Amino acid sequence: MRSFKTVLLTAAALMTPAAFAQTNSAERAQVAAYSGQDYCITVMGTFPNEGTEARYQFYKLVQDMGRDAGPDFQAAINTYGENKPQADTPLLDVIDVIANPVIRQAAPEIVVSNMGHLIEFADRCAPYVDGQILSLSAFDASLTDGDTVIAEDALYLRQILSESLDRLGINDHPLHGPHARAYARSLVTTRNAVEYAAFESEIDELESLFMSDLDGRLARSNDIINEESNREILGDAVTLANDINDDAEEKQKQRDIETLFRILGGR
Amino acid sequence: MSRQFIAALLLGSALMSGACATTAKGASVSALQKDYAAQTYVGEAPLGTTLAVVRYPAFVDPDARDAYYNAFGTQAIGGSGKQAASQERDGLADSLILKSNYFALSLYKELAAKLPEHSVLLSPHTIKLDADGKLTSVPMTQAESLPNVVTVDFAAYTYPDVTKMMGKEPLTFGDLVTPLITVKTDHRAAAPTQGVLLSSAPLMARTAGNAREAIEESMQAMQAGRLTTDPRPLDFVTFLKTGRALNVAQKSLSDRGNSHAVRAYPVEKVKLNASTLTALTSAKPAGATTADIDPLAAVFSRPMANQIVGEINRADTGKAAMAGRAGAISQFDESLAALTLVGSDDPSYLARLKYAERLLDAQKNYLSVQSLRLFDGVHNGEMGAQVRDMLKAEYNVLEKRRDLARKQNTATALAILGAIGTGVAIANSGGSGGSDCGNARSQREYNDCIRRERQRQQRDAQVNRIAIDALIAGTVYAAQTAYGSSQLSKKIGVSYLTSVAPALEEQISVQVNLIDSSETITAIRFEGLTEKLRALYSKNQRSLSVAATSCAYAHTGSSKTGTWLGECNGGFGEGSGVGILQNADGSAVEYYGYARGGQPAGPGYMITHTPTGSTALEGNFNAGRADGPMRVYAGGKSAALRTYSAGSDVGSAAGQRVASPFATRPVSVAAQSVLN
Repeated sequence: MRSFKTVLLTAAALMTPAAFAQTNSAERAQVAAYSGQDYCITVMGTFPNEGTEARYQFYKLVQDMGRDAGPDFQAAINTYGENKPQADTPLLDVIDVIANPVIRQAAPEIVVSNMGHLIEFADRCAPYVDGQILSLSAFDASLTDGDTVIAEDALYLRQILSESLDRLGINDHPLHGPHARAYARSLVTTRNAVEYAAFESEIDELESLFMSDLDGRLARSNDIINEESNREILGDAVTLANDINDDAEEKQKQRDIETLFRILGGR
Repeated sequence: MSRQFIAALLLGSALMSGACATTAKGASVSALQKDYAAQTYVGEAPLGTTLAVVRYPAFVDPDARDAYYNAFGTQAIGGSGKQAASQERDGLADSLILKSNYFALSLYKELAAKLPEHSVLLSPHTIKLDADGKLTSVPMTQAESLPNVVTVDFAAYTYPDVTKMMGKEPLTFGDLVTPLITVKTDHRAAAPTQGVLLSSAPLMARTAGNAREAIEESMQAMQAGRLTTDPRPLDFVTFLKTGRALNVAQKSLSDRGNSHAVRAYPVEKVKLNASTLTALTSAKPAGATTADIDPLAAVFSRPMANQIVGEINRADTGKAAMAGRAGAISQFDESLAALTLVGSDDPSYLARLKYAERLLDAQKNYLSVQSLRLFDGVHNGEMGAQVRDMLKAEYNVLEKRRDLARKQNTATALAILGAIGTGVAIANSGGSGGSDCGNARSQREYNDCIRRERQRQQRDAQVNRIAIDALIAGTVYAAQTAYGSSQLSKKIGVSYLTSVAPALEEQISVQVNLIDSSETITAIRFEGLTEKLRALYSKNQRSLSVAATSCAYAHTGSSKTGTWLGECNGGFGEGSGVGILQNADGSAVEYYGYARGGQPAGPGYMITHTPTGSTALEGNFNAGRADGPMRVYAGGKSAALRTYSAGSDVGSAAGQRVASPFATRPVSVAAQSVLN
């Protein structure tokens, strides 16, 4: 929850209306072909617009919240949800309703409808959301550093939805019950993946820290030992061997001459 | 003295004084290079598993020096006779250590270039005495504590007689290197050969014996509930100490077929490229050093690395690494470790395994930094430069001796020709060829003829004697020169080794300082890393629906009860795990798979060891017996598909599907799909 709040506060600080004026023209040309263009643009208009970080966080959050919610499950949400927000309801207000513990307890059907609003948007406007995420991360690769935190926040909100539906009795519904249970199982899988990603992130950090520390220490140690090594000993030994060999060679030559002389003189 | 005897005497003396000398030739193309295409690694090793560990002798403990020198002199390869203690013999033994240290790095470099990052580790060994006072070796680093696919033992060998340096005996000196090498995998991946894949021919039986002892240690450890054992000594050391020998099926180096036999690598004296050795002395471009020149790379290290990659590609990496991985995981999670031998599709198991494997991967990556720095410190540092200086000096010595050998051969040839010429001259001297006085028509004419003939013969004899004396003198001189060249050549070899002995010791000592310092630093930090990893693992601990424990394992036909590590129920193996049973007759059974009531039941992999060898069966088991289509692994043959019924072979199973307990392999891939 703390990380979720962090995201929200950061986003809120950067939030302004009229989000999409800066979208580049190429992207717009792609989007123009989409049938729900007006709907998507209206909802996206409620997204934070100041600062790439806040925009990225909100798009990523919505994308993650929309996972594993197929048409059957969306139908279940529509059945159990009440007071669905309008397309132009500010995104932060929608999330506030979902995260509000009082509303969660008192009116789970409102929580369900607000989640339904986000899921519908993530589903219908997936190309826009993907495009925004891709272009923002291409612009600044460091934005993806917070993906694990965003995934945890999205999972938290999805669990609220699952619990709210459960409280509304969806598990007893013959048609919607199996879809709700499948959704709950997918939350376990996602939870595993998110926790592993967090573990791996920690271990990556630890590994990198220890490896660079070791590398530096070993490099310094190598330098010290190599500096201390006495290369002259070998040079001296080789020179000595050469001297001995040259001397032996000289003596051998002398012996050859003496032998020849003795052989010749011996006649 | 007869003329023939004098001729034979001269010829003999010429031959004796200066027999033809060899010029220490080597093979410019290694047997490793012949008829073998470039290999690219095609597999995907399980997470946290190294693909190759290069082991080599790096240091001899002072207490073990005499034993090592004596064993080196006694257990000679490529020649006959034992070498008594001498300074030169000991110098050659020290030189073996130094050169092994240096050239092993060349092999490491080439292997690392062909395999994925962080998948090759160095494991230098110290030769020491064991508790019984016998030679052994122990690793100086922790490289062998991780799961691994192949282990490569390397040594640069020299025959222990300095006077044979110019002969056909093995030599590592100057531009000649005689590599001794063994490539092994875990026996579970190659049971009929005890895990040995490739071996220098003289080492093969001892290498298999060494591997067999590793198997027995592993089984004893598992019977005691442990999944880890100490690394085995170097194969070269077990050869030196005449350790246990075991005959295994072997095949030629060029045979890369599927039959379960060890590829025999002949002992060969590889000749380094003269231009690369010359380059060590020539001026280098700015920024370049002699460290950039590796004279061994083209002729040995690269082709050997190529062969090793081929072996890794052919190896069953799952079976090769499973025991090592279980042992490494046991340091973090005992409940999980034994379950990883067979694996499971249970999500809780896969989730937990993925965490554990990531820890091993962190350890592997960390230890690979140590290997990289060892390479850097030794090869690229002052130490490496000294070895290259030594190579240059040795090359000069060898070239000088080759020159002398050529002179000796010329002188010997002259002496032999001279001896033959002298013999011919002696044989011809005083021969007939004079006038026939029998044709004289009167006594006076006859007497005059005889007098003239005697005068002519006296003149001829005088001329012949002068010529023969000159030939004898020339022959003696040529023989003397040949003898002198031979003696000088030996003297040059001996004086070099004697002079360079202190430098050898200094260099080995520097290398050991580098390794020791590296290991000290690494071990302290490695322990720290392991503690952090353990804490991280505990924090993220996942529940496990089934935990591994120890209980009883039984085997049909055995009166003994063995140990089962894995899933247990009611005191007997029930589910997946490993069963170990050692019989009184020396035979033993390892079973990896599923059990019911403590007996093999379901898919399994059973290895049977007898005193003479090992075989394996993979397929379905029922009440402890092989039942259904089985894959049969036996020495000298390719894996065969046979049908078994109640433990008996009843015919071919060609085309039928064989059950395997490792169907979930590779575990990492399965875990990935569940968690992502």
